[in-house]
Amino acid sequence: MNNFREVAAGEKSLKRDYVAIMMWFMGRAIQAAATVDKAVKKEFMDMPDGFTFALCVMPNGPYMIVGKDQRGLVRYRGWDPEGKMIDLQMKIKNIEDAMLLFTFQESTALATARERLIVDGEVAQACAIVRILDIVEVYLLPKIIARLAVKRYPAWSCGRKYLGRVLIYIRTIFGF
Amino acid sequence: MYLPEHYEFFCHVKINSGHRALEQIPFELDVLNARKPFVISRKGDSERGLIDVIIDAFKDSEVAIGIFDGVPPDPDLKLIRELFNIYRDRGYDAIIAVGGGPVADTAKVLNIAVSGKPDDIEEYAGEDQIKRPLKPLIIVPTLSGTGYEMSKHVFFGGRAYVSHFLMPNLAVIDPRMTITEDAVSIASTTLVALAHAVEAYTGATKNPLADAYAYSAIQLIMEHLVKVLRDQQYGSGRLALSNAHAMAGCAFSNVASGIAHELGKAMGEVCHMPPGLCMGMLLPHVLEKQMSEGSHNIADLLLPLAGFDAYASMTDNLRARRAVDILYDLLKDLSAVSGGAVSRRWKNAQISEDTLQGIAQRAVVNEVISDADGYVKILREATERR
Amino acid sequence: MDMPGYYEFCCRVKIISGHDALEKIPDTLAQLNAGRPMIVTDKGVVGAGLIDTVVDAISNGVNIRVIADDVPPDSDLRIVNSLARLYREKGCDSIIAIGGGSVMDTAKGINIIVSEKAENLMLFSGANALKRALRPMIAIPTTAGTGSEVTLVAVIKDHEKHLKMAFVSYFLLPDASIVDSRMTLTLPPAITAATGMDALSHAVEAYTCLAKNPLSDAHALAAIRLISDNLLKVTVNPGDRKGRLGMASAATLAGIAFGNSMVGMVHTLGHSVGSVCGVPHGACMAILLPYGLEYNMHKNGNLTAELLLPIAGAEVYAATPKEERAQSVIDLIRRMNQELYEATGGRHARFFRESLDRKGKEMVPKEKLPDIAETALRDGSIFYNPEDLDYDDFLMVLEAAWEGKPLNTFLIRRG
Repeated sequence: MNNFREVAAGEKSLKRDYVAIMMWFMGRAIQAAATVDKAVKKEFMDMPDGFTFALCVMPNGPYMIVGKDQRGLVRYRGWDPEGKMIDLQMKIKNIEDAMLLFTFQESTALATARERLIVDGEVAQACAIVRILDIVEVYLLPKIIARLAVKRYPAWSCGRKYLGRVLIYIRTIFGF
Repeated sequence: MYLPEHYEFFCHVKINSGHRALEQIPFELDVLNARKPFVISRKGDSERGLIDVIIDAFKDSEVAIGIFDGVPPDPDLKLIRELFNIYRDRGYDAIIAVGGGPVADTAKVLNIAVSGKPDDIEEYAGEDQIKRPLKPLIIVPTLSGTGYEMSKHVFFGGRAYVSHFLMPNLAVIDPRMTITEDAVSIASTTLVALAHAVEAYTGATKNPLADAYAYSAIQLIMEHLVKVLRDQQYGSGRLALSNAHAMAGCAFSNVASGIAHELGKAMGEVCHMPPGLCMGMLLPHVLEKQMSEGSHNIADLLLPLAGFDAYASMTDNLRARRAVDILYDLLKDLSAVSGGAVSRRWKNAQISEDTLQGIAQRAVVNEVISDADGYVKILREATERR
Repeated sequence: MDMPGYYEFCCRVKIISGHDALEKIPDTLAQLNAGRPMIVTDKGVVGAGLIDTVVDAISNGVNIRVIADDVPPDSDLRIVNSLARLYREKGCDSIIAIGGGSVMDTAKGINIIVSEKAENLMLFSGANALKRALRPMIAIPTTAGTGSEVTLVAVIKDHEKHLKMAFVSYFLLPDASIVDSRMTLTLPPAITAATGMDALSHAVEAYTCLAKNPLSDAHALAAIRLISDNLLKVTVNPGDRKGRLGMASAATLAGIAFGNSMVGMVHTLGHSVGSVCGVPHGACMAILLPYGLEYNMHKNGNLTAELLLPIAGAEVYAATPKEERAQSVIDLIRRMNQELYEATGGRHARFFRESLDRKGKEMVPKEKLPDIAETALRDGSIFYNPEDLDYDDFLMVLEAAWEGKPLNTFLIRRG
């Protein structure tokens, strides 16, 4: 019997913290992009008022929650799902898979192909969210990294790319 | 393309393979409605670091695991009883077996025990005595097995158990688990997988679905086996071979066992040699005989053995010959690259004419097709050519 | 062969194939501890005499409690609910689904309701909502085919709420699939052609898109070989039993391949054309398949090139220079469409402009193409396509596929 033992699951706190911080940035950047970028604005316009989606890591977070309020404004709604009606959940199966995504070792497309993500909700809306995430990543990341994260690096005008990037960074950091 | 008039195929096993495959296990357990897994492994796997990798993969999953890392090379029903008690007392609801061979055998028999009555395990011995699905079983191969662990067979305590329900629900093939075996033993176990896959692909009971598994296995082995022998650090090659083992096990579970398998097994018993090595060494000779008897299925073997371009550029009537020659060459290469280590026991075995007869008789007893003289011929040729 | 960094593969369905595979059903059900099945099918299958064939083959061994034949061409929540009630009323313990995609999906939906004793099917929609095995289900495909007898997905429409519910779970896989040549013997040429090209598109997309893996590749290659050998033959000669069995096996193999490796833009666009204009799925696949390969050529042309071997055979493969093989594959698929067009007296459309309904009316007016492109943006199969597509890209492909002109590859924006 001395060959037997039980091991509790424990935590990977550093990785959770990293993912939580990246999600915080991402959430606020989406909020910013919904004001600054025409394409992101249009994607959100097609969604009903009150629509809320979450990107999260199984089994228990971290979470990124973004929603459209009743006036149609897109807001980052924090990391706590408690009490919130979430219409679309994109769940990453475990913290290591989340690390692969948030260190850009796997793009969203590759992560989907490798079954790292589960979509709980309408697929059509998930498609829109992935397009939004792609656009936000192009804004936030230098080209050399963004190219790993998105399938096709877009050919934007300088204005859109550089001015947009500055605006989104400012709005992300200051939260408006 | 050959299509049998009638066939059946069933593969119970899901395969998850690649980077961070272990980390997916908590999710897969949830899909199987299990929450408390019982991990069993070989004596010494903890020292090899394999158990730490498993523990790390479960971190942050909210799933606690029980670990028994003392399965000996020759497990018996007493061990099963001991493990059953732990499983029942701790309320486990799934088994995760780390490794092949004795660990996988133990896991499969334990699964019979925990899914039914532990005192009557031997009631389920024989063919298709298990009538319903067992509890969840996950196998994490470590290249110490041959893919047999994925199959519907288990041989335990002198009895054979055969049932599709013995196959694991899930095979988790993670590169981190393939690094501890040494290259020479990988070569031996892979030869078994190759023999199983080739015989599934060329045998009389072949069917398109088993072929798909066999084809993949053969292709992966041909591409990676020699390279893994040459370069001990060649990680993606080891991953590929572990995949090939699992695929061969699945194919093998859906066809009748072939002559190389039966002869190799018999030879192993009579001459006290690793049966897998014998299977691999006999394989080209068995195919040679079948070719001379007009078998049509060997020509197509060239496709997974040599690839699209080599297959296409060879005319049909020359393909079978080329396929068999490639297998001879493979054995030579394995011997050369390993400095003779792979084939040493084969080359040095003392085998007399009487031994050959003994082996053939033993195989005939097990095999459906009885052709003792034919078998002796194959054996003689194979042993003379050493 | 490149091992993917990570992949998953599963096909847990027992496959029973042959010229008299139906006769194995009583034993199969008995092994699953069942014997009072409900047969779920549609009027087309009944009309073709196939239900009689099945009943004759199995009624000695099982007690068929009821035959429900009102499954519509598009799966419908109301029918699923009413058939679930019927299942309970008749004391059934298993389901035998005989038909194409819609019948299979309906049967899977019924199985969820009766197994989980669910009041509301919606509760089980999405991925992995099911936690345990359902009642025994046997699938008998009657086309070759959609492959839905070996996939873990069911799509059911709620016409009242205008919702499409998708269910994804390994527990949705039937326990067994019966691949019997008798079930496709009476399939008319146009449907044979369309469903055959559907199977081909499954295999080709599984082989060339992002989730490919060695096992699904092996299934796909075998499927493509069988389709190349048999599709035209059985379109021209419907009674060719061996050919029919070949196509049925191919559809199963292709179904297993795409069930594990998913599909790409051919399906993204095909689903959209189907949903906006009602063109049958297989017909959409046939037309769009060469375009998908053309569009993605800069990303996966090397994979497309490999398909020349199963499509055209060893001699052609060896004689074609490596850099020309991908284009040969595309040309051959267009030629297949041409041959099927001729073999079906023009009913198998080669491009969308010639897709006509039963009354001879055009099904895809050019003005609808923008709508279709817009719809395509909402289809999840695009994730698996090697190259990205936005509205303009979808429209470009649709316009070419409408006219029947090859894509202008210079206009493709490369990622």
